[in-house]
Amino acid sequence: MSSFLLSYYTIPTTPKSLLIQPLLYADHNFSCMQLSGKQVLPAAPPKIWALLMDPDTLVRLVPGITNLEKVGDNRFKSVFDIKLGPVRGSFTGNLQLEDITENKGYLLKLQQNSKIGNASAVVKIGLVPVGDSQTELDFDGDVKLSGLLASMGQRVIGGVANTLTKQFFHNLEKELEKPVSA
Amino acid sequence: MSTTNGLIGKSVKRVEDNRFITGKGNYTDDIILPGQTYAAFVRTPYAHAKIGSIDTAAALAMPGVVAIYTGADVAAINGVPCGWQVNFKNGDTMKEPKHPLLAVGKVRYTGEAVAIVIAGTREQACDAAEAVQVEYEELPVVVNAAEAVKPGAPQVHDEAPNNMCYDWELGNPKAEVDQAMATAAHVTMLEFVNQRMIPNAIEPRSYNASYDAANGRYTLYTSTQNPHLIRLLMSAFVLGIPEHKVRVVGPDVGGGFGSKIFHYTEEALLTWASHKINRPVKWTADRRESFLTDAHGRDHITKAEMGFDKEGKAVALRVKTFANLGAYLSTFSTCVPTYLHGTLLQGLYTTPKINVDVTAVFTNTTPVDAYRGAGRPEATYLLERLMDLAAHEMGIDPAALRFKNFIPPFDGVNQPGYQTQVALQYDSGNYEGVLKKGLEMLGYEDFRKRQKEAAQNGKLLGVGFSTYIEACGIAPSAVVGALGARAGLYEVGQVRVQPTGKVSVFTGTHSHGQGHETTFAQVVADKLGIAFEDVEVIHGDSDSVAFGMGTCGSRSIAVGGSAIMKSVEKIIEKGKKIAAHKLEANAEDLEFAGGRFTVKGTNKSVSFADVALTAYVPHVYPKDLEPGLDFSSFYDPANFTYPFGCHIAVVEVDKETGTLALRRFIAVDDVGNVINPMIVEGQIHGGVVQGVGQALFEGAEYDENGQLTNGTYMDYCMPRADNLPMIETAGQVTPCPHNPLGVKGAGEAGTIGSTPAVVNAVIDALWSGGHIVKDLRMPITSEKVWRAMQTA
Repeated sequence: MSSFLLSYYTIPTTPKSLLIQPLLYADHNFSCMQLSGKQVLPAAPPKIWALLMDPDTLVRLVPGITNLEKVGDNRFKSVFDIKLGPVRGSFTGNLQLEDITENKGYLLKLQQNSKIGNASAVVKIGLVPVGDSQTELDFDGDVKLSGLLASMGQRVIGGVANTLTKQFFHNLEKELEKPVSA
Repeated sequence: MSTTNGLIGKSVKRVEDNRFITGKGNYTDDIILPGQTYAAFVRTPYAHAKIGSIDTAAALAMPGVVAIYTGADVAAINGVPCGWQVNFKNGDTMKEPKHPLLAVGKVRYTGEAVAIVIAGTREQACDAAEAVQVEYEELPVVVNAAEAVKPGAPQVHDEAPNNMCYDWELGNPKAEVDQAMATAAHVTMLEFVNQRMIPNAIEPRSYNASYDAANGRYTLYTSTQNPHLIRLLMSAFVLGIPEHKVRVVGPDVGGGFGSKIFHYTEEALLTWASHKINRPVKWTADRRESFLTDAHGRDHITKAEMGFDKEGKAVALRVKTFANLGAYLSTFSTCVPTYLHGTLLQGLYTTPKINVDVTAVFTNTTPVDAYRGAGRPEATYLLERLMDLAAHEMGIDPAALRFKNFIPPFDGVNQPGYQTQVALQYDSGNYEGVLKKGLEMLGYEDFRKRQKEAAQNGKLLGVGFSTYIEACGIAPSAVVGALGARAGLYEVGQVRVQPTGKVSVFTGTHSHGQGHETTFAQVVADKLGIAFEDVEVIHGDSDSVAFGMGTCGSRSIAVGGSAIMKSVEKIIEKGKKIAAHKLEANAEDLEFAGGRFTVKGTNKSVSFADVALTAYVPHVYPKDLEPGLDFSSFYDPANFTYPFGCHIAVVEVDKETGTLALRRFIAVDDVGNVINPMIVEGQIHGGVVQGVGQALFEGAEYDENGQLTNGTYMDYCMPRADNLPMIETAGQVTPCPHNPLGVKGAGEAGTIGSTPAVVNAVIDALWSGGHIVKDLRMPITSEKVWRAMQTA
C-alpha cells in the first residue's frame, strides 16, 4: 500500500503520456489563508512600537475592531465587525500577544467567534529599522475560518484581507503624520 | 398471461404532474399538525473538536422555546445503524463506530448536530439555537482518504485504527492478475479522483414527528425514498419502540437521488423528542444544512491498470481504491464502494483476470453513501476512461477497441447468462448493438474527418465513448444476504379490486420523481384490460402499504413492478373461478383478454367489473371460494437486472481560450422492455445531466480544516439547461429473462454512462490538438483545459 501512496503523489513519466496535474486531492489548495506582507513606515521603530502596543490606538487603526478591552498582561477581549462578501457578522473573542520583544515584534493570536462561524489567526509581526527614521513592518501568518464563514467567505476573504491590510497601513501612516501631542 | 390493451409501451402523460404543476403537491414541510413545534439544530463549525461545556441557559429563556436537548440527553439511545456489513480481508468485522443522534464528547465533521432546539415557531427555534454557547477544543483534521490511512494521521474514531473501516478485495487472486499484467503487451494506468458529489435534491430533507399519547402511536412524516425501511431501522435499531405502533409516511418527495434512502439521525431524534414533549416536532433543512448534512456521494481515489495483448484484447485489470466514507457510516455506505462497485468491473468486456482492492476510510467529512448510480458510476468511470485512454495510447480506434473486447450477445434464454470474474452473472445483453447504433447516430467516419478540419480552424473537437453496464433491480435477498446485507431486498405489491371494478394498487416502492403512479397504473390497466383512469397507485404510507423496501438501485419497476404482476396474476386466476361459476363453465376453459373472461371458443363472456362486483356481493358464488378480490404478493428477484448502453459525447474546445462546450450527447440505452417511453427518456435525460454535472461542473471541496468551502449555490456549480445540447436518445430492447415484465430499470443509467463519455471527449479533443494528456481532474473547467494546453 505504501508504494501506491508514494506513486500516487509522483507524476508518472511514461514516454507516451504526461500527467499534467499533480495528484493532490483538491484542485484549489484553499487551506488556511496566508496573510503576509511588508510596508516601510516613516518613523523609527520605538514610535511604531508604542502605537502597536496601545489598545486605544489599535481600535482606531485596525479596520473592523470596535472594542479592545484589557483583561490581563497582553491579553484583551476583542470585538470585531466584519463584512466578507455576502457574509456580515459581529465577532467576539480574545486577542493575545506573545513572544514580545520591545521595538522588535510580537506574535499576535486572535480567536473570534460569531453566529456565522469562527475565525482564528496567528500572525508574526516584526519591526526592522530602515535608516534612522524609517521602519519596515513585516507580518506573516494565517487565518483559519470555520462554519458559514468558511463556506461562504473563503472565496472572497483574500480580497477582503488585502483591503483591510491596506486600510490599516493607510490609517497607520495618517496616525504617524499627526502632530505629536503633548 | 393475458393479451394487453396496448397501454404498456405507451407514453401516457404523468398523472402525478397535475398536482405538481398546479402547486398542490403535499410535501412534509406542507404538513402542519395541531400543536406543531419546530426544531433547529446547533451544528459544529469545526470538523473535529472536543466538546467542552454546552450552555443552554440563555437559549432556554428565549421566547417560545419548548425544549433543548444535547448529546448527554440522548447518549443512552442507540445510534443510527449501518445496513450492510463488509468484512476485512482477514475476516474481521468492519469497524462500526456509533453514529449518535447528537454528538457526544466529540464532533467529527463540520455540520454535525450538537444540540436540538425546539420552539413554537421556526424563527424562535433558529434564534434560540444561535444563543446556545458551545465550547470546542479543536483537534487535527483529516479529509483525504488516502492520507487518512497513513501512520500519524489524525484519528476520527478510537475504535478504527488508521481510520480504516475495512479493506476488501474481489475477483481473481492478486498474484494471477499480477502475472497476467506482467505478460501484457501494453498497460494503461490511470490514477484519478472520482470526486465527492452533493446530491442537491430540490426539496431539502424534512421531518415532522408526532406522538399520540392516547394510543401510544408515533407518526413520522419524512422526505424519504423508503418509509418502511425507516420505520424498521428507527423502531427496532435506534429507539426500541414497537414497530406496529409506528407509522412512517413519505408523502410527496422532491427528488432523492439516493440521499433520501438513508435513516438520518434527525428522523429518530425528532420522533424521540415528540414523545418527550408530547407535541409534534418539525424540522426542514435549510440549503446550507443540505449541503453539509445530506449524505454525499462518490469520493474515490483510485489507481487502475488495464493490460492488453498485442491485438488489443484486455488480459488483466487491477484496481486499488480508497473510498472515503466520511465521519460515520450512513445506512448503505459500506456496500457502495464494494458490492456496487467492485462487482461491476467486468464491464462489457471479456477481461479474464480482474482484481479489485478497496480500502474504506473514515475522515472528518460528511458521511458518504449512495448517490444516483452508487458505485456503478465509479466502476464505469474507471473502465471507460481506461478503455478510451488505452485506445489512444495504443493507436487503436476507441470504438474498435471496444468491439474487440465486448462479451458476445446472449439472451439469457437460449444462451446462458455471462459469468463475470467479479461475482455477478449478467442476465442478457447485446453490447455491440448499442455501440453500433450510437456510432450511426454520431456519423462516426464523418466526425473524424470534421475533427481534423476543426483543428485547422482554431477549434478542437473531441468524441468520447462510454459503453456501460449496471446491476439494477436490487436485489435477490439470498445473494445480498450472503454478501453482508442486513435486509432482504424483495418488494411488495398489492392489487385491490374494488367492488365497482376500479383498482387500487399498493406498492412498497416510493415515487419521488420517477412517475410510478403512471407507470404502475399502465401495467395494471394493461394486464387487466381496463381503463388507465380506473387504476390508482398508492405508495409511501406504512399504514396503507403492507411493507416494502422502497426505491433505490433502479429497482422499482423490476422488483416492485414484478410484485404487482404476481398479484395481478392471482386476481385473474381467482377472477376466472368467479367467472366460471357465473358462466357455468370450468375455470380452465376460460381465457381473460381485453377485460373480459370468455369461455374459449364461445361468445359466452363476463366483464372484469361484473366479476369484481360478484366477488364483493357473493350471493351466487363458488362454494369454496373466499369473497373479495384483493391480493398482496412479495417478489424476490432471481437475479439483478443488467441494463447497459452506449453514451457518446462530443465536445468542442477553443484552442486559444480553452473554452469547453458540450456539443452533442448521444445516449443509446437498453433497459429491457419499456413501459412508458416518455418517462424512460425523462429518466435518461435527468441522469445524463447529473453525469455531465460531475464531469464538468460539480464537486464538493473541503479545505484542510474540514470546512466545506463550496457549500452554497454561489460556489457549487449545478448544471443548467444552457450548459447542455439537446440529448439524443435511442433505445434497444434486450428483455430481462427473469422477471415477468422483462424490464431492467432506467433510473440510474443516464448518470452511470455519461460522466466518462464527457471526460473522454475532452481528452480526445486535447489529443487531436497534440496535447497528450491522460487525465484532467473533474469537474473539468475551461481553465483546466487551457492550463493543460499550455503544459502538454
